[in-house]
Amino acid sequence: MNASDFALLGPPLIAGAVVLSTHVPLGRQVLARGIIFIDLAIAQLAGLGVILVHVMFDQPGGSTVQFAAFLAALGGALMLRWAERHWPGVLEAVIGVVFVLAVSAALLMLANDPHGGERLKELLAGQLLWTTYDDLWLPAVVSLLILGVWKTVDVAHSPTVFYALFALSVTLSVQLVGVYLVFASLIIPALATRGRRGSFAAYSVGLAGYLLGLFGSLMTDLPTGPSVVWAMATVALASAFLRRTKPQTSN
Amino acid sequence: MRNNRLSMSVLLALLLAGTAQAKLNVFACEPEWAALVKELAGDEASIFAATHAGQDPHHVEARPSLIARLRSADLAVCTGAELETGWMPMVQRRARNPKVLPGQPGYFEATDAVTLLEKPAELDRAEGDVHGDGNPHVQLDPRRILEIAKALSARLQQIDGSNSTLYRRRLQDFAARWQAALSRWQGDAGALRGRRVVVHHQEWTYLLDWLGMQRVGSLEPKPGIPPNMAHLAQLKQQPADLIVLSPLNDEKPAEWLTSQTGVPAVVLPQTVGAVSGSDDLFSLFDTIVRRLNDLEHR
Repeated sequence: MNASDFALLGPPLIAGAVVLSTHVPLGRQVLARGIIFIDLAIAQLAGLGVILVHVMFDQPGGSTVQFAAFLAALGGALMLRWAERHWPGVLEAVIGVVFVLAVSAALLMLANDPHGGERLKELLAGQLLWTTYDDLWLPAVVSLLILGVWKTVDVAHSPTVFYALFALSVTLSVQLVGVYLVFASLIIPALATRGRRGSFAAYSVGLAGYLLGLFGSLMTDLPTGPSVVWAMATVALASAFLRRTKPQTSN
Repeated sequence: MRNNRLSMSVLLALLLAGTAQAKLNVFACEPEWAALVKELAGDEASIFAATHAGQDPHHVEARPSLIARLRSADLAVCTGAELETGWMPMVQRRARNPKVLPGQPGYFEATDAVTLLEKPAELDRAEGDVHGDGNPHVQLDPRRILEIAKALSARLQQIDGSNSTLYRRRLQDFAARWQAALSRWQGDAGALRGRRVVVHHQEWTYLLDWLGMQRVGSLEPKPGIPPNMAHLAQLKQQPADLIVLSPLNDEKPAEWLTSQTGVPAVVLPQTVGAVSGSDDLFSLFDTIVRRLNDLEHR
């Protein structure tokens, strides 16, 4: 490893920042609503949309695939919003059932198309390290739009808007960083900083996790995505421990 | 970047002046090609193997060293025929090393040097994980290994002309030893001709082709699709002499079929280093032939 190798970390670090920009506020909502596993369900539904498109059309274009992924994710998100209204007591269970149904439907469709299997894997196992600056334009622009809506609409009181934004955000981020890092970026910073006003601490935990994980991956040559998940959890634990030992001033 | 290039050319000039002896940086996509480069270039090359025998070269986890090592490579040696399409294009995109892009002398695909089997007349996705260019797993036919060695040596001589005499000599030496080993293996494996084999996945196509063995079925109903009960029950009706799988495969389907039919299963190394004692190309085929013969003479 030499100095020029650190340049490798540029695009993945920006990708992490783009994902965190929307996932920190989204994650706090997810935690507040008690729908922790919604991102796994939505990501699987996005994957299902992709497989469906490949089953229906031969060689679909990239934008068609993206659109199908988003539509499936949006449909699932709105359905979950409906479930939240009508079966609030068992929402997490419904989300779990949707998740296993989406996974099983994918497996059933793939019984005759192994390439779909590769596609599902690609879609859910986005590889942070392969990201280039060119890959980041669309997610960055869409993230800015999402943040714009977030600022103008009170999402805590417009659940439908929240669910739609969530579907859009997860569809894009899962392809950049993969489903485990999406889950980590949503939940870990929000969890570590719950009860604090302002998002600075949550963003710090997330970014420090990406930085530490990327450098750790570079030093040890271990796979990048899992390294970042562990680094983020470590940073979160350390920050929670520090808060506990310091006198509370922030609340 | 420009500075880099300038310092590179200065460095090159120094090297050509004979003040130092630089090594050729070789990035090998799979362990079998790392082993072949070692035979053909010896200590002249510093070799990095991108995958090890315990990994499926179709799918590779992103590690920083893949990009870093391709960035500084003079030559990349891969299988081609779409085997690495899941990851190599991304590594190339991020490494941004013009020397090792497809079509450049610094990018060598083993499948370009040989004729491929199982080239589909037309691509039908319903037929499973079919490679459009043909079956890419050419490393298991020693006759093809020799053809690939000749092409690879020519490429080494092309990109590193100052050592071309050495590469030629090493190729002659390798080819002589390989021919001798080839006759020995073919003599030892004569009894295997015509044996009916159930394979797990089709990485064995070239091995069976070389040994004159016959594939009568595969545990995967279609390439890349895991075995299922209905398909295995059908396979039960199929008379066979042995089942072949690699250490990467789940052994349960093979064990089930053995318990149902009594047909023995054998685990063979699919590449260099896949089982202990198969650490170079010679011991790879020694191990394969020995394990098949042990099964034959049970």
